[in-house]
Amino acid sequence: MNRRTLLGGLFAAASVPALAACSGGITSLNESSGSTAGGGSSKGGITIGTANFTENQVLGYLYAAVLQQAGVKVKVRPNLGTREIVIPALKAGDIDLLPEYQGALLNYLAPKDASAEPGTMQNALTLALPAGLQVLPYGQAADSDCFVVTRATARKYGLTSLADLAGQNGKLVIGAAPEVKKRRVGAVGLQEVYGVEFKEFKSLDSDGPLVKGALKKGDVDVANLFTTDTDIAANDWVVLTDPKNLIPSQHIVPLIADRKADDTVRKALARLGNVLTTDQLTQLNSQVDNDKKDPEDVAAAYAKQHGLA
Amino acid sequence: MFELFKNLGTWLTSGSQWAGQDGIAHRLGEHLQYSLLATLIAAAIGLPLGLLIGHTGKGAFVAINLASFGRALPTVGLVVLVFLAGGLSMLPVYVALVALAVPAIVTNTYAGMTAVDPDVKDAARGQGMRGHQVLLQVELPLALPLIMTGLRLALIQVVATATIAAYVSFGGLGRYVFDGLAQRDLVQVLGGAVLVAVVAVVLDLLLSSLQRFLFRHRTA
Amino acid sequence: MTIDWSWIGDHTDDLASLTLSHLQAAMTAVFFGLLISLPLAVVAHRVRPLRGFLLGLSNVLFTIPSIAIFVLLLPISGLTRTTTVIGLTVYTLVVLLRNTVEGLDSVPAKTKEAAKAMGTRPLRTLLTVELPLALPVIMAGVRIATVMSISLVSVATYIGDGGLGQLFTDGFQRDFPTPVIVGVVLTILLAVVADALLVALQYVLTPWRRRRA
Repeated sequence: MNRRTLLGGLFAAASVPALAACSGGITSLNESSGSTAGGGSSKGGITIGTANFTENQVLGYLYAAVLQQAGVKVKVRPNLGTREIVIPALKAGDIDLLPEYQGALLNYLAPKDASAEPGTMQNALTLALPAGLQVLPYGQAADSDCFVVTRATARKYGLTSLADLAGQNGKLVIGAAPEVKKRRVGAVGLQEVYGVEFKEFKSLDSDGPLVKGALKKGDVDVANLFTTDTDIAANDWVVLTDPKNLIPSQHIVPLIADRKADDTVRKALARLGNVLTTDQLTQLNSQVDNDKKDPEDVAAAYAKQHGLA
Repeated sequence: MFELFKNLGTWLTSGSQWAGQDGIAHRLGEHLQYSLLATLIAAAIGLPLGLLIGHTGKGAFVAINLASFGRALPTVGLVVLVFLAGGLSMLPVYVALVALAVPAIVTNTYAGMTAVDPDVKDAARGQGMRGHQVLLQVELPLALPLIMTGLRLALIQVVATATIAAYVSFGGLGRYVFDGLAQRDLVQVLGGAVLVAVVAVVLDLLLSSLQRFLFRHRTA
Repeated sequence: MTIDWSWIGDHTDDLASLTLSHLQAAMTAVFFGLLISLPLAVVAHRVRPLRGFLLGLSNVLFTIPSIAIFVLLLPISGLTRTTTVIGLTVYTLVVLLRNTVEGLDSVPAKTKEAAKAMGTRPLRTLLTVELPLALPVIMAGVRIATVMSISLVSVATYIGDGGLGQLFTDGFQRDFPTPVIVGVVLTILLAVVADALLVALQYVLTPWRRRRA
């Protein structure tokens, strides 16, 4: 028994009266530690974690809708944080399943791996994943990181591709989520692959109000957004092209703990992966961000409409 | 755990960590600016209010209850609310920090005023002192120890909470905590936390020496 | 900034479960805070040299930003309710420890001597004489700690917990004020109700004080 479970157990045992008095809510006291040998089973229910941006929550609730339809008990824990936070939580057993992105996940696990094509990437992921975790087949929908500038900025500096940024070294301010400062698809890779040096890195958020607001206001020149954001087209922002393929293929891929991966789960998620397209996902995101609908409702309606739930 | 503290030592002492836009020196300056300005604004609101209530004895019930609701205000919620209402600026951060500090200042100032012996006030009036003279020359000096306690408590809370500025894209030592969370860089988080705690403790010690300096006559 | 009333109507279940979860986090923290504070306060009350150290330590812990405590606990307790509760418990200590020590200090020496003269054992004196007499001061601490914890729970939204705090990050990410307003109002209501209940509890627990009030 490691210290982690000992401590958790101690608190769990001691807090029984308090918990019993008001059960419900989103408590999670490491209930998922009992794993089965061999294949894994979703019988005890699956806890789906999601990262701190809209699309990941939409995907989490889509997973939940199709799994529920398949008879699996699910719980969604929305908005847990960045990949850097969520994957350790998956390893520790706080959650069981995560909607992930091929390229970004591979960069996180094996920064030096140069696989670019979805099939080879899937193999590379399987090799790079720590024991106890696996990726299920990737879906057809994809969402890449992208770097955008306003139309005016693009004109002013003559920017069309990431390579052009190097011509303005030391002049431009980039805005992105804090983790992007240390990521390869971020400040690190832009420097290594394109030789780009920014004047400043501003820590903002993941395709959220801060980074988009800062780009609109002109507080940042370059913003890191996601390609599935309708705001890019709505604001006539320019997505800088990536001639040297710094940004890898980003098909959506379920990352799951071995202990929960059974055929029921595999089949249900594979069906969703085959149906959901990038355009549809983009629309779902927009319903949440712009129409202020709940990701849960948006996902449930989509699943129903497409015969998935 | 040992590894974490060893790395903290390296983090805190490396020269490059102290320099530049994201350097400790710059972040420390920002943090001090946010905290001191917020506490000053809170004092400008809370002190007169507490003195007035204590002096007149009117509105005490309302003020004390408002102060205790104020303590329940969730800082994160307040920051987000003001941000959504007025857009991105430091305003949300200052509103939340001031709202955090005012209750401690008002309640302690009021408590200090009510602790002044009524006989002393009567004696002062008997000597022909006017209301404002009693307030400034008798009540205020006697209430000062508790007033200072309130200010110190407010300042400590503000310094710890000014971390929130980083959530809405600004600087201060909270930058290390929020960036460290996003990057799961615990050394950075610990570094930020230790620096915040040091700032709070040092400012508290400074205020307590100021307090002792102000009271040097009384003890003599 | 307008309130979308229909959103509130559509989310009463979610709001109820978030409120319950919020309250549970705060109350569990106060419970553990008391559990830790009581023995420590007895030590601080009796062993003078340790008093300054223990109170000073709880003061220093109070200066650490709560979000940092939550993050630093991640390697130990992960993204769980346990992390939230440990973090909040640390913050309750500064109030609970100090008030419990002050409460014990406030028990008149004569009362303790009388108990001793009657042959009451020290532990029994502590439980049947000192703690009941210290209760008003301890309860004042419990009230402050409860209100403070209820206001702090929402910080745990940064580690995926946080009860009503989830409404803040949600509203922030979607530029949607309604959940944020509702979250702030419910947090304050929760604090007011919890405080009133504690006042009532204190009234029940200290029958001997009623005549004076």
